[in-house]
Amino acid sequence: MKQLTEEDTIQKPLPIADSDSHAMWEGLKKGELLLQHCEDCGHVQYYQQGLCRICQSKKLVHRAASGRGIIHSYSVVHRSPGPAFRDDVPYAVLLVELEEGPRMISSLLGKDFTHLAIDSPVAMKTMKISEQVFLPCFELVNLADK
Amino acid sequence: MRNKNTLRGKVAIVGIGQSPSGRVPGRSPLDLTADASLKALADAGMDKSQLDGVLTGNAYASSFHRFSVALSEYLNIQPSYSNTLQVSGATAGAAVNTAAAAICSGLADTVLVACGDSLLTGMTPDLAIRAMTESRDQQYEMPFGIPVANTFAMTAHRHMKEFGTTSEQMAQVAVTFRQHASRTPGAQKTDLISIDDVLASKMVSSPYRKLDCSLISDGAAALILTSAEKAYEYNQEPIFILGGGEYYSHEHIFLMPNLTETGAVQSAQKAYQMAGVSPLDIDVAGIYDCFTGTVLMMLEDLGFCKKGEAGPFVEAGEITYGGCIPTNTHGGMLSYAHPGIPAAWFHFTEVVRQLRGNCGERQVKDAEVGLVHTLGAGFSTHATTVLGKGSTL
Ligand SMILES: [Zn+2]
Repeated sequence: MKQLTEEDTIQKPLPIADSDSHAMWEGLKKGELLLQHCEDCGHVQYYQQGLCRICQSKKLVHRAASGRGIIHSYSVVHRSPGPAFRDDVPYAVLLVELEEGPRMISSLLGKDFTHLAIDSPVAMKTMKISEQVFLPCFELVNLADK
Repeated sequence: MRNKNTLRGKVAIVGIGQSPSGRVPGRSPLDLTADASLKALADAGMDKSQLDGVLTGNAYASSFHRFSVALSEYLNIQPSYSNTLQVSGATAGAAVNTAAAAICSGLADTVLVACGDSLLTGMTPDLAIRAMTESRDQQYEMPFGIPVANTFAMTAHRHMKEFGTTSEQMAQVAVTFRQHASRTPGAQKTDLISIDDVLASKMVSSPYRKLDCSLISDGAAALILTSAEKAYEYNQEPIFILGGGEYYSHEHIFLMPNLTETGAVQSAQKAYQMAGVSPLDIDVAGIYDCFTGTVLMMLEDLGFCKKGEAGPFVEAGEITYGGCIPTNTHGGMLSYAHPGIPAAWFHFTEVVRQLRGNCGERQVKDAEVGLVHTLGAGFSTHATTVLGKGSTL
């Protein structure tokens, strides 16, 4: 097995784009979460693949998600998975169901967990980690503001 | 009923062995695994020259990529069949099923199925946690700081929301398995705990608190499988493989079709069908217990109770002595030991001991048919094995 060093535990794991996912990580730099829409069967998918997961068609087009979704489930992390996230705890990891259908793992912006619940509406914001990496994160939508 | 293309009754576990487990400093994963393997050989009364197959999982605290090959060299065995399997927590069940299939097909006669690691003293806690976290996807999961507990925790939140399952009901699993461990020699945690103790322990990843989470341990265990024809040549009563089934429904947690119903439904159905048994026939179970809520969902998906009813089922004492399905009588990963991938090997050694009738004061009376269900990676991987005494064939 790959032997990790203490140094590895200090670094946050960052996504390394591959040929399947390059467009998505580029899109996030512009504030857009790109989903793949299949022109043959209409399936909408996250994450990025070279083919449609339902019909295996390669006719996939990227369209930006609305950024709206609801919390399908969540967990607030109190014990960090190693030193890299130690300064961040507590933080909420979200399983968001996007308006377009797909689900994704993300995190909640901020540390106010009082209104964090399954089925709460959320909206996407990108968070700059470095010049190359912008992560899609979500904030709770305050229903009173609507 | 008996189909010649199944494993039923064709292969038996004839030897079991365990290294010391819990906190075992100064011993490498290979050393621990060799220790367990030699004990399994001694248990069977078998010379290592009779092994022609070796299957293992991988060890986090070892740099070997081909652990099964490294173990063979360490023991000076040259097998004609070997593999190092990796389906996370389901590796134990998958390895037993695969070894049985290899024996049925003639690829091997007698297979050592072993695994060991030193997560507790062979690595720092930071390294151990990070090593396990590395099993999540580098692009779509890990950047969000998703620890191993998190995927399982999200399924637990859904179960609470959909079925009204409570933290107290999940805590009961930890309390019960601790009672079991208190009677098991060598268990890492033997001090009894209450539901209040679980609820008062520190939050790790909501809704899971420290005592809802499995331990971190060192340790190894080994099994020796051979054909039914040879099974009676050894020291111990053979325990037969009656059925096996596996299921792999997704890789990413966000593509899990339904967070409260898992691939254990399909893997168990296949194993039951092959064995010709139903959940009602199972006398004792070993269920992968990485977290308390994991056990609740498995009790439902393995068919021991209805969907959504595992909370009250556990509260009613159904997973301990006198209940419907005494489970993890050794104490499981929550209290006996959790050395990572090897953890579920201990579920096998315990169920085999129960079926042999060797468990002393923790013996489940008249146990004839047992089940082991191992799973991993946020319910991505599932392997079920049904075991039985010779009298069940
Ligand atoms: Zn399609």
